[in-house]
Amino acid sequence: MERRNRINIIYDILRVIQTRGGEIKKTHIMYQANLSHNQMKLYLDELYEKKFIENSDSDKPLIKITKKGQDFFRQYAQVKEFEKTFGL
Amino acid sequence: MKIVFTPDWFLGHDVFINVFSFVILSLFFFFSIKNYKISKNKRLLYLGTGFLLIALAELSIILTKFAIYYDTTLTQSIGGLIITYEVVKSVDILYYLSFFFCRLFTLAGLYIIYKLPLKKLSGDFVLVIYFIIITSVMCHHFYYLYHITALILLSLIIRNYIKVYKKNKLVNTKIFIVAMSLLALSQIMFVLSKISSLYVTAQIVQLISYITFLILIIKITKNGKKKQNKHNL
Repeated sequence: MERRNRINIIYDILRVIQTRGGEIKKTHIMYQANLSHNQMKLYLDELYEKKFIENSDSDKPLIKITKKGQDFFRQYAQVKEFEKTFGL
Repeated sequence: MKIVFTPDWFLGHDVFINVFSFVILSLFFFFSIKNYKISKNKRLLYLGTGFLLIALAELSIILTKFAIYYDTTLTQSIGGLIITYEVVKSVDILYYLSFFFCRLFTLAGLYIIYKLPLKKLSGDFVLVIYFIIITSVMCHHFYYLYHITALILLSLIIRNYIKVYKKNKLVNTKIFIVAMSLLALSQIMFVLSKISSLYVTAQIVQLISYITFLILIIKITKNGKKKQNKHNL
């Protein structure tokens, strides 16, 4: 199995959030993106810093994907499609 | 002296095909570099370089054909034998240089695209570049050498991408293989291009090939968006 790099892990986290309709619990990210607790914390800090995610307005402790995060997700989906096409 | 195989009635149409090819190749270069900036995957950079080289080859052909076909001042200024000789000589040099760079850049670009899906990119690059230069020089006397070399490289690219398709089963890769196969077919026709009708057919096949490449670009862009929408549901 191929080792995921940093950007692929970020893409996987955003994909997991998107799959759940844009809002998700932290623990779900950990399990669905195959990350340890420490890894998840590091990546979420980076995503908060980049304004790709933010805390949800609801009462529950949920994480929400931002417009910027959605744009990045769309762009990276195209990159992956391009790379797959050419076997890169 | 006939310096291009284009029949008179097709003059200008072939320039349109070259311009169209140049636009498509530039789009591939643009997308490769844009994607490289996001993912930092060096292979995307090499892919972009491959497409850029072939785009530059098309550009050199476009500029030469414009100079040869549309330079009316050139023909108006011909007054005497000496001027005519000088004009013919300068056009000949322009033709020789631009076609040399066209062949060199196309073959180098195709070689890069051929190497990309392979796990190891290293190889005898100096030796390959040497052979590409020799072929490009020799093509001035034996025009078919270029088309045969391009055909061999295209066949190797097709073989590599069939292997990629067997692994990923992506429709996009299949479209790329079809486009490359059409380009290979056009090279076979170009070898026999002294027959004027075949030259035109080869150009049309090349146009269809680049239309297929355009479809591929549209599909890649649309699929990326679709993926996002699918995850939104």
